[in-house]
Amino acid sequence: MITVDKLIFEYPGLRALDNVSFQINQGSITALVGPNGAGKTTLLRCMAALDRPVGGTITIEDIDVLEQPRECHRIIGYLSDFFGLYQRLTVRQCLHFVARAQGIADGDCPAAITEVCRRLHIEDRLEMRPDELSRGLRQRVAIAQAIIHKPSLVLLDEPASGLDPEARHELAELFLDLQRQGMTLLVSSHILAELEAYCTDMLVLRKGRLVEQVAVKTPQHHKPFKLLLAQAVPNLADILTQLPDIELLKTEHDRLALIRLSTDTQHQHAVLKALLALNLPVCEFAPAASNLQDAYLQTIRQRP
Amino acid sequence: MNLNPEFQRQLYLECSQARLIGIPAVLGIIFTFSYFIDGYRLGNATAKAALSLFMLITLLWGARQAVDSIVEEYRDRTWDIQRLSALGPWEMAWGKLFGSTVMVWYAGLLCLFAYGLAIDDYAALPLLIFYSICAALLVQSGSLLLGLLAVRRGQTKSGSIFLLAVIGFLSIAPWLSDVSNLTSYALPDSTTHWYEMRFSSGDFHQVSLLLALFWCAVGNYRLMSLELGLRATPWVWLGFSVFLMIYVGGFMPGSAYAFWLAAFAVCGTLTYVGVLVESNDAMRIKRLLTYFAERNWRRGSEELPIWWLSFLLLLPAAWVLSLSEHPLREFSLRFHFYPLAMVLILLRDCGIYIYFCYGKNPQRALSMTLLFAVLLYGILPGIFNALGQNGLAALFFPLWADSAGGALLCALLQTGWVSSLLYRRWKANT
Repeated sequence: MITVDKLIFEYPGLRALDNVSFQINQGSITALVGPNGAGKTTLLRCMAALDRPVGGTITIEDIDVLEQPRECHRIIGYLSDFFGLYQRLTVRQCLHFVARAQGIADGDCPAAITEVCRRLHIEDRLEMRPDELSRGLRQRVAIAQAIIHKPSLVLLDEPASGLDPEARHELAELFLDLQRQGMTLLVSSHILAELEAYCTDMLVLRKGRLVEQVAVKTPQHHKPFKLLLAQAVPNLADILTQLPDIELLKTEHDRLALIRLSTDTQHQHAVLKALLALNLPVCEFAPAASNLQDAYLQTIRQRP
Repeated sequence: MNLNPEFQRQLYLECSQARLIGIPAVLGIIFTFSYFIDGYRLGNATAKAALSLFMLITLLWGARQAVDSIVEEYRDRTWDIQRLSALGPWEMAWGKLFGSTVMVWYAGLLCLFAYGLAIDDYAALPLLIFYSICAALLVQSGSLLLGLLAVRRGQTKSGSIFLLAVIGFLSIAPWLSDVSNLTSYALPDSTTHWYEMRFSSGDFHQVSLLLALFWCAVGNYRLMSLELGLRATPWVWLGFSVFLMIYVGGFMPGSAYAFWLAAFAVCGTLTYVGVLVESNDAMRIKRLLTYFAERNWRRGSEELPIWWLSFLLLLPAAWVLSLSEHPLREFSLRFHFYPLAMVLILLRDCGIYIYFCYGKNPQRALSMTLLFAVLLYGILPGIFNALGQNGLAALFFPLWADSAGGALLCALLQTGWVSSLLYRRWKANT
């Protein structure tokens, strides 16, 4: 469990974090979102014990980060937005140094390097220097540095910026893989589309304040369904509300509706059958994709 | 083998095959020339060349390497990676110091070896080796210290820091040359008086050198601890201030007044040094006041600027000197020694410097302060003095006042005015 309580950080003339409090569950992937200047990087740096706040506490696995920063460093991995790679060392030497600096015994380093490189698909780049690699590959090397000691919490600041779609997909797969291994991830970004694929929770920061903390992917008994008709049917909302066991969320132009249904597939089949029995010209009936961007925008609109 | 990771990383960077072969090759060529100059033998010219090269390599190149070992990290934005490692401050400090200078020592030891082959009298060799190695370690360790201070101030250019290392080289090189001649050290009656005790000069210098090395190592440890996020109260600075007071006080003629005068000079200098070397961050004072308001004394003391400590030690010295009668009270008819007024002037100077540090361009704080110092110490009082307006001259430079009370009043006016300006700027910043 990660707990941040009443965190305050100030730059001269600016309160970058204002009484920020939240909890993150073990094994979750939390998206830290917010506009530029919201305080995302400052929050991550405070959590990594790189910057010292004016007030508040941060606890990671019962370690008080502000009191025991070195103990905290042993259990976290941090990817900064500028990678922090040694340009004059080879990738192997970079990883060997970080592994050793994180307390991995010299004899165990080759295995740790091989494993992390396999996971990040950079085995064939070990003898190259970071300045000879593309941005995407450098990003992977930086992530390898952050996770080589198998930390329980990984803090990632804008990990997918500058990556091509394929690399972003691979990154999402990697994060899910890390989550399966029991790591907790806190990923900051202002590009919500990239977080969609893997985040379980979302923290919204705005002007240094925590606006919202929502669970994006939690086991649900009901989920939204999209109903699209071939042509508009007058009073569609009235028709739908008469059907049992559904909750109407919204309709648009008597042609599109968003309804909430049970996750039970038999029930979904029964609803579709009832819709067809009403002679509605159904052309699409499917779960509505949950959209992180919609959730974010909704939060921002609700709490300006 | 589980080498210190930082030391090992520096080995990766420094120990290239080209350097391992190139350095002995270049030195070999130089010593071949000196061999010819000496008449086909290793003689005086070779010894001089070897010692000069040793000093150039270990003092200048070594200082540069030690500074860059930390400043380069900050410049290349890899410092956070190091700060996030599990390495302790001592491991990090010695890894950087000895790792970054490994090739320097490789070349330096080759020079010392050549020197050993070229001299006839080996009696002086152990002492020379001791002084050479300790002096080089002192300069390199001091350079690392300066590098750490630069990083804490957010300075990424190593040129100005290296300039200080060059000054260190220029002060140590002639001294080392003297040691090689063994003039003063060979004299049996060369003694040093310290607190009315007599020591052999050689022994005293050796102990002093080791003490300087010790304080450099402690300073590096302390600064590295702070960089790695470890919390610590500024006891090291306090200890160093007291040590220096006692050490310097021992050279003064035996009287209480002389001791307090030395303490006054040491603490005054350390106050200036402290305010210059630390990062003067407005938020730090806010944190300090917040912690004190919460009665969190430990956290509050961690945020104490080091110059405050030297300044606090300065106060009793100034008080004792003010109450003592001594010929030093008056240097001349116009210029007086008023310790309490000097304390306030010192506070004013620190206030001016911090005022500029809180400004929009803190990089220019030192040059702006020096400009103001020229105005306040020289030009303005000089003009009024030339016009025969001694009272007005004393307003700017209180030591020209005729009485201690007048000087104190003038100094109070200036300090009060600077303090109010500083407070307003601090409020605007926080």
